[in-house]
Amino acid sequence: MASRPDPRLGRALLAAWLVTVFAVSASRDLRTLAAAGLVAVLVFRRGIGRSLARLLRSVVPLTAVLALASVGWLRLASGAWPDAGPFLALALRTCVIAFVTFSVLDRVNLLEAVAPFQTLSRLLVVTLAQIHALRLLATESREGLRSRLPRRPGALDLLRGAGGITAALLTLSARNAREISDAMRSRGF
Amino acid sequence: MHVPDGFISPQLSLPAWAVAAPLWAFAVRRRFGREATESLPVVGSLTALAFVIQTLMIPVPGGTSTHLVGVMLLALLYHPLVAFVCESLVLLVQALFFGAGGVTVLGLNALAMGLLGPLAGWLVWRLLRRLSERTALFLAGWVSMQVATLAAVGALALQHHLDPAYFPVPPAVTFLAMMVPSLTVAGVAEGLYTVFALSLLRKANLRGVET
Repeated sequence: MASRPDPRLGRALLAAWLVTVFAVSASRDLRTLAAAGLVAVLVFRRGIGRSLARLLRSVVPLTAVLALASVGWLRLASGAWPDAGPFLALALRTCVIAFVTFSVLDRVNLLEAVAPFQTLSRLLVVTLAQIHALRLLATESREGLRSRLPRRPGALDLLRGAGGITAALLTLSARNAREISDAMRSRGF
Repeated sequence: MHVPDGFISPQLSLPAWAVAAPLWAFAVRRRFGREATESLPVVGSLTALAFVIQTLMIPVPGGTSTHLVGVMLLALLYHPLVAFVCESLVLLVQALFFGAGGVTVLGLNALAMGLLGPLAGWLVWRLLRRLSERTALFLAGWVSMQVATLAAVGALALQHHLDPAYFPVPPAVTFLAMMVPSLTVAGVAEGLYTVFALSLLRKANLRGVET
């Protein structure tokens, strides 16, 4: 039987992660940030593909759009291109912090770490379960709307159905949440 | 309107944590004790709904993005401190699993979007609800959005003032880029969402909803 990871190790890793992300967030030097990124890649090379994929999917697009839009805005406002260095440092800082976060969380059981705080654990579990349930319900509602229309639903169709869909989402998700909450309570949470 | 990780230095993020942490402890002790057992499922449900709403983000130049917040409902139905804890939880889940916002700026984002915004909206609702319930609800949603956005703008402007090389976007750009969508689109949408969702919740007559 595989042994369970030591929760104390997980808590130590979480503490080290907090110190690291605050330390990285203090730096504005491109070379220091690049070095920090390199160290993070070396330390967390196991599972790097998954962390990088998450980074590319969830952080890079938003950060790139923010940086590019800000540079463009400043170019329009002042008539000259702003110095790219601070913007690069900003984007790199954000990416290093996110990469370290994703890599650490891949190695830690978060629910085990918050287990001593019972009400918070229950709220966290109910919320995570509801996020999943809401996503499923939203997909089902969209598919339902699609099946009732002879064509692909447009923005107006979605707006017309928004009231009913939101009402169904709220009611079903509240019932769902009560079931999960009662189940957790009956198990001592 | 989340301020992302890396946009605010520890000079500002640590004091924000220092203010937020005791408030979290106080709010959890006061509002999430044994007496909250009945309302917890609905609170969790509305928190999840707020999470889903907040994932629909539109990036804006100047340092952040615009979106609905959705926790005003929790402030109106329960208490601004409940909204504060729930919004903090949403921000934590977003930071840990979805790379939105971040853990270094969690205190700052929670104070702006979870406390100041809903508290301002709640006060507006308390002041105006006798005149017209619907107008008061709409204005509560709208005001909560403006106050939360202003707080985020203020933090980014202060960061630029402290160290322009750290956050290079001038405050005027940040202010315009964040406040214009907030005043015209996001605030109105938040107001309408608050009116609509609250009327739905009241009609659904759910156990644990304090109307």
